Amino acid sequence: MTYEGKDLLDLEPEERAREGIFLGFQYPVEIPGVNNAYLLKTAVNAKRKHQGLGEVDAFEFLKLAREKMAALGMDPKFLNRGVNEGFSGGEKKRNEILQMAMLEPKLAILDETDSGLDIDALKAVAEGVNSLRNPDRAIVLVTHYQRLLDYVQPDFVHVLSEGQIVRSGDKSLALELEDKGYDWVREAASA
Amino acid sequence: MSRQPHSIDELQDIVSRLPSTRNEDWKYTDLASARDISSRWLAAGRESLSLALQDEVEAVTHAIDANWIVIANGELQHPVDVNGASRLDDAPSSDTALAELNAALLKDGLRLRVEDALDKPIGILMIDGTEDASVSQAYVEIEFAPGASGEIIEYHASKGDADQYANTIVSVAVGDAASARHLRVQNRAAHHVQTGHTSVSVGRDANYTMSGFDLGGGLIRNDVIIDIAAAGAEVSFDGLYLAGEGQHIDNHTRVDHRVGPARSRQEYRGILNGHCRCVWNGKAIVHEGADGTDADQANHNLLLSEKAEIDAKPELEIYTDDVKCSHGTTVGQLDETSLFYLRSRGLDKRHATQVLTHAFASDLVARMPVDAAKEALATVVEHRLAELLDSDPDTFS
Repeated sequence: MTYEGKDLLDLEPEERAREGIFLGFQYPVEIPGVNNAYLLKTAVNAKRKHQGLGEVDAFEFLKLAREKMAALGMDPKFLNRGVNEGFSGGEKKRNEILQMAMLEPKLAILDETDSGLDIDALKAVAEGVNSLRNPDRAIVLVTHYQRLLDYVQPDFVHVLSEGQIVRSGDKSLALELEDKGYDWVREAASA
Repeated sequence: MSRQPHSIDELQDIVSRLPSTRNEDWKYTDLASARDISSRWLAAGRESLSLALQDEVEAVTHAIDANWIVIANGELQHPVDVNGASRLDDAPSSDTALAELNAALLKDGLRLRVEDALDKPIGILMIDGTEDASVSQAYVEIEFAPGASGEIIEYHASKGDADQYANTIVSVAVGDAASARHLRVQNRAAHHVQTGHTSVSVGRDANYTMSGFDLGGGLIRNDVIIDIAAAGAEVSFDGLYLAGEGQHIDNHTRVDHRVGPARSRQEYRGILNGHCRCVWNGKAIVHEGADGTDADQANHNLLLSEKAEIDAKPELEIYTDDVKCSHGTTVGQLDETSLFYLRSRGLDKRHATQVLTHAFASDLVARMPVDAAKEALATVVEHRLAELLDSDPDTFS
């Protein structure tokens, strides 16, 4: 599994992160006792160090984190809570997007970020994803449903089945799937 | 008035009677090194030159804003100008060999009486450091008058490569409706030995809160004995022990609920790495007629190495019906999911481990009862945790 000339499977999880890959978890873990702001800052600094940059200024960091949180509709008090500790499902996913926004990855893989979200959280998460879209950044959204794609218009849609891409297309493929179901692609693939 | 001096033979006899592992309460902790150091020191004439300790004393007394009393190698450092503090000639004789040794060899005892509300914590620094092997005793009696309130810091430190054995006894009496907050820090040099005995009696409607932090030392044994003999007492105590390569830390606690209603809770947590051993034995006894007792004890351990050993034993003895008692003990490794999550955000394995072990200890640091010491202690704990992670080269291989 090669990414920008490096075999990802050879890398430790922290090395992948520092290479600019972000994994958004389906079930972000709660870590009581580890301050959310501390993790964010440490993560940003770990990447900056890897890039040969100095540590981020504490004041600038807080200002930036608060801006990103406001955009995601997150209360700034979440900065001082334990990582995901006592967060609702939607708050956890917003927190993942916040981390992504602060880390500015080159490649983001968001694993079922839409699962368990109410409509407000879904919109906020989608806006967060959209605000990070740019030609130098790839974002892979893993989802079972069209719903998220109403808010994040995909450039490409790939259908994964049994570890293989069985069909690719543009955003209309997702709509077609919503209409016809997955069996249609599976049957077409095995035919 | 002074005690009868003991002959060398009498002293050697006391040393030979220090508890052995045949005693159930001492099954996991072998005091052979304490006997050996004591015996050699007695044979060598009980003299050993003190090391310069001023830097070590200042490191503690400047970091924590308190009215400090310093006991160095068992001797009170003058002047003791803390309100309510006075020197004691003698320690009471008692039925254990450790107390006998303490009474027989005590140079300076200390008595503290808190009359009303203390505006600043009182700190007692017990520090040892000598050129050759030595033994020191400390005996401290603290009394909170009825309705009094205040914070006491008990800090144990030591210096040097020579063998050291410290035997300390602290006795706390909390008067009716008094409120006592007690912080105990043990940060002795590696390889040094300490047996520490803390006994506490808690009066009617009184409040006693204690936190003990065992960060250093080679062989450490703490006994905490709390006696609730009046209704309405609220007792809460925590303990954190951090053990690295070669350390042995044993915490024995006992709470006697003699009358109710009263509440006691305790939570001990340990982080162990490398070849080391810790013991937690928590006993709660609810005596006949102590109705309305609420006793809770918990002990949680994080083992970072396969070479680390914890012997954890909760004991509840209940001789009455109307009680609420609970206990829980856990022994585990770091949560792999949390570790992966932190690593996926760019923290290397060591850093992620440090963050998670720190989190495991953080509740107890946050809860510790003396605000003036919180920042200094948090720094010491963090520093010690970092050392601990590096004490076993296999942990991150």
